[in-house]
Amino acid sequence: MGLPPALTGGPRGDPSVAGFLLRRLTASFLLLFAVATGVFFLVHAAPGDPTDVFEGQRINREQRETLRHLYGLDRPLGEQYLRWLAALAQGELGLSLAQQRPVATILAEAFPATLLLATGAIAVEFGIALLLGIAAARRPGGYADQTIRLGSLVFVSQPPFWIALMLVLLFAHLWPVLPASHMRSVDADLLSPAGRAWDLLRHLLLPSLALGLYNAGSTLRFVRGSVIEVMGTDYIRAARARGLSERRVLWVHGLRNALTPLIQLFALSFPQLLNGALLTEIIFAWPGLGRATFAAVLSRDYPLILGLTLFSAFVVILGNLLADLLQAAADPRVRRHA
Amino acid sequence: MNRMRRLPLPPLLLLALLAPHLAGCGAREEPQQGGPAGDGTPQRGGTVVTGWTTEPLGINDLIFPTTAVGSEVHFRVFQHLVEEQPDFAEHPATFKPQLAESWEWSDDHKVLTFHLRKNLVWSDGVPLTAEDVRWSWQAQVHPAVAWDSAYMKEHIRDVEVVDPQTVRFHFTRVYAKQLLDANEGLILPKHAWSRLPFEKWRENGTWFFENRLAAGPFRIESWTAQQEMVLVRNERYWEKERPYLDRVVLRFVPDASSLTTQLLNGEIDFIAQVSPADAKRVRERPELQVIPFWSNLFVAVAWNHSRPLFADAEVRRALTLAIDRRSIVETLWPGGTGRVGISPLLQSVWAHDKTLQPWPYDPAEARKILAARGWKDGDGDGLLDRGGKKFSFELLSNAGNQARNDAAVMIQQQLRQVGIEATPRILEFNTLVADTRSGHFDAAITGATIDTSLDLSGNFHSRSIQDGDNFFRYSSPALDRLLDEAAGQKNIADAAPLLHQIEHQLHRDQPVTFLWESQRLAAINRRVHDARPNLQSAFFHLQDWWVSPRP
Repeated sequence: MGLPPALTGGPRGDPSVAGFLLRRLTASFLLLFAVATGVFFLVHAAPGDPTDVFEGQRINREQRETLRHLYGLDRPLGEQYLRWLAALAQGELGLSLAQQRPVATILAEAFPATLLLATGAIAVEFGIALLLGIAAARRPGGYADQTIRLGSLVFVSQPPFWIALMLVLLFAHLWPVLPASHMRSVDADLLSPAGRAWDLLRHLLLPSLALGLYNAGSTLRFVRGSVIEVMGTDYIRAARARGLSERRVLWVHGLRNALTPLIQLFALSFPQLLNGALLTEIIFAWPGLGRATFAAVLSRDYPLILGLTLFSAFVVILGNLLADLLQAAADPRVRRHA
Repeated sequence: MNRMRRLPLPPLLLLALLAPHLAGCGAREEPQQGGPAGDGTPQRGGTVVTGWTTEPLGINDLIFPTTAVGSEVHFRVFQHLVEEQPDFAEHPATFKPQLAESWEWSDDHKVLTFHLRKNLVWSDGVPLTAEDVRWSWQAQVHPAVAWDSAYMKEHIRDVEVVDPQTVRFHFTRVYAKQLLDANEGLILPKHAWSRLPFEKWRENGTWFFENRLAAGPFRIESWTAQQEMVLVRNERYWEKERPYLDRVVLRFVPDASSLTTQLLNGEIDFIAQVSPADAKRVRERPELQVIPFWSNLFVAVAWNHSRPLFADAEVRRALTLAIDRRSIVETLWPGGTGRVGISPLLQSVWAHDKTLQPWPYDPAEARKILAARGWKDGDGDGLLDRGGKKFSFELLSNAGNQARNDAAVMIQQQLRQVGIEATPRILEFNTLVADTRSGHFDAAITGATIDTSLDLSGNFHSRSIQDGDNFFRYSSPALDRLLDEAAGQKNIADAAPLLHQIEHQLHRDQPVTFLWESQRLAAINRRVHDARPNLQSAFFHLQDWWVSPRP
C-alpha cells in the first residue's frame, strides 16, 4: 500500500491535511456505497431466498407468500434496494429474518468478541514479530537469525485454521491445560471479577495464538528486513562514529526509523483480523462476527448479511484511512510534506 | 540482549494461565444430597453440560423454523397435552399423559376431549388452563403467525373450552393421525403472550424471550448468543420431585470435532450426535459411553421423473441394481451403524413389511434391462447411448455432508461399470434446495424423515409435487389412492396392509433409490445417569437425568 501523493508530497498533491482528509473521506464513502450496492445485488442473485429455510417444514404456498410479503421480498428488487438504502440513510440496518431481532443488536453483541480476539491476535503477532525480528536483525546470517527465519517460514506456510487445530490438539487434548472453545467457563459467574478476567484470558489464549502466529511469521520478516536496512544507513554509522553505545544506537536511533512503516502494517492488520477470523471463530466457538456471518449466509438472512458486510467494509476503509493518518503523524518527513 | 530474549509473558504467568484449577473450569456445583455415587439412587442437584453444533433461533417455536436443538429446548420449557413414546418398533407409538391426565373420543370419533391436570401453573404462578390450550391453537393457525406445521391443524374445526380443566377438539373428518394432529404444537402462555398481537409476532422474536415463562421441568435462565443457554429447574413444575438436575447448560460449538474434544476432556457431558469415527474415540474412554439408536431419516437418490432419462420405472430399477449399496453402507457406516435402505417405512418401524428384501447389487441384470430399453454402447466409447444421446447425468449432493458426497463418488464409479456417466456436483445446501424444488436437476442425494403418523403423502403423493416434498415429481394415481386410504383409517394399526402395499409399489417403481438408514450415536459421560436419548428427543425425560458427584 503506497502512500497517497498528498502525504508523500507528490507534484500535484494538495498540501493541506484538511483537503486530503476531505478527499479520502469522500472516496471512502463512495467505496462504501459501491460495496453496499454490490453486495445487495449479489446476495439476492444467489439461489434460494430466506423462506427456503422453511421449505423442509412443508409450509404451503400461501404461508410462503405471507412471509415474503411480510419481509418485503415480493417487491421488485429495485424497490427493495431503494427501501434498504432509505432505511440505511436513517441508520436502520433492519431486522434479521432468521433471528427476528435487529441486525444492529447482533452486530453489537458479536463485535466486542471479535475486537477482543483481534486485539489478542495483534498482541501475539507484534509481540513475537518485534522480539524475534529485532533479535534476528542483530546479527544477520547468524545462528539465531537462521533459526528464527526458518521458524517464521513454518508458521507463514500454514493456514490459521490448521494452526488452530494443532493448538487444540496440543493444549486442549493431548495436554489439556487450556479450554478449547468459548469465551468463558460454564461457572464463570461464580468467580470473582479478577477470576472472570483470568478465565477470559485463558479462553483468549489459543484463538489469539492461532490467528497471531500465522501473521507473526511475515511481520517478523518485515521487522527484520527493516531493522537491517536502517542499521546500514549513514546516520546510524554517524551515530556509531560519535561513540554511542550499540544499545543506544539500536533503540534510540535505529528502531524509531525502522518501525515507522510497522505502524501502517499495524493499522492494516487490524481490520483484516476483524474480518478474517471466520474459521478461527468457528473452531474455537468464539462468538464473533465471523460466526454470525457464516450463519447468516447459510440461512440467506439478507438484512444480516448486508449489515455484517457493510460493517466489515466500513472497518477496512476506516483502517486504511487511519493507517495513512498514523503514518503522517509518526513520520516527520510526511508531516513536513503535508 | 537479555531483555529481548525474554518470553512475551513472564514464565510464572504463563504457567498460571495453563493451570486449569486456578480458573474455575471444572468447578461446577455438584449434588449435595442423596446416596453415594453409583448406588443407583437418583440424587438431586448438579449441572450437566451439553454440546450442540447449532443454536436455537428463538423460544417461540411458532415463528421460527424447527431445528433439532430448538425443539430440545422448547419441549423442556413448554409441554404437549400428551407425550408420544418412542415405542414404535413393534406397534404404533403409544401416548402417556403430559399436561392432560386423560382423554376420550366421541362415538363418531370427531370430538376429542382432554382433561388437564389440576395442579398446572406457569412459572410465574398463574394457572395453566383450557384457555391456554384454545389460544395456542388460535396462534398455530393464524395466517400472520405462519407456523410451519399449521397444515397439521387443517382438519380441526374448533377447540372448545368446556371448563378450566376440560378442552374439546372438534374435527371435520375421521383419519389416522387425529390425536397426533391435536397434540402437535406446544401449549403456550396466553396471559403473557397474548399481549402482543399475532400480526406483530414475526417482527419481535426477542419479545418472547424477554417475556419468557415455563410450564415444563426447566425454564430458561439465560441465553448468550453464539455461546450458551442455561436451563434451570422450574420449581413450579407439576411432576413431584422432578427435575433432579439444578441446571442444564447448552454450549454452542459449531465445529463437530472441537465438540468431541471437549467431551473427551470432560468439559462437556453430553453430545446428541457424534460421527461414527468420533464414536470410536469416545468408546475408548472408560468414563464415556455411546448410545446408538436408529434415526428416522432415510437417504436416497431422487431421480427427476420429469427428465425422460428417469421417467421409466424399469430404468430406475436398473439404476438401483447397478449401485452397490451394501459396499457404500459398509464403507460409510462401519460397525453396523447403517443398513441398506429398502423403503421409506424404516426397518425400525412396526409397519415395515419384514419380508421385503432390498434389490441386490446386480450390474449384469441392470445391463440387461437397459439393453431391453434400447440403451446400448453403439459407438464403443464405454457409455450407453440411445438415439444419439448418451446416458449421462449430474448427481447433486450438498456441501458439508461428507457421507453423501462420498456416496456420490462411489455411485459414479459403480454406474460407470454399466456404461452410465454420473457426474457428482456438490452444492451449498440452500442452492441444492432451490435447484431441486424448481426441477432444475437430474438426480440428487437427499434425505427425508418420517414421523409416527407414517403418512408418506408429503414425499410420494402427486399433490405434493406442487406443495410438498415430492420435488422429484413422482406421480402414480394408484399410489395416491393407497396413500389417501391409509391416511383415512381411524386407527393407524388398521392401515398396516395398505402400508405394505405402498411399500411394495415403491419397491417396484423405485421413484428414488433408497441408499441407507443409519444410527444416530449420542455420546455421554457415565457420571450422568438415566439419560435415554432416542428418536423422539435427545433430551427425552430430561427431568429424570441425574449426576453423581465428581470423584
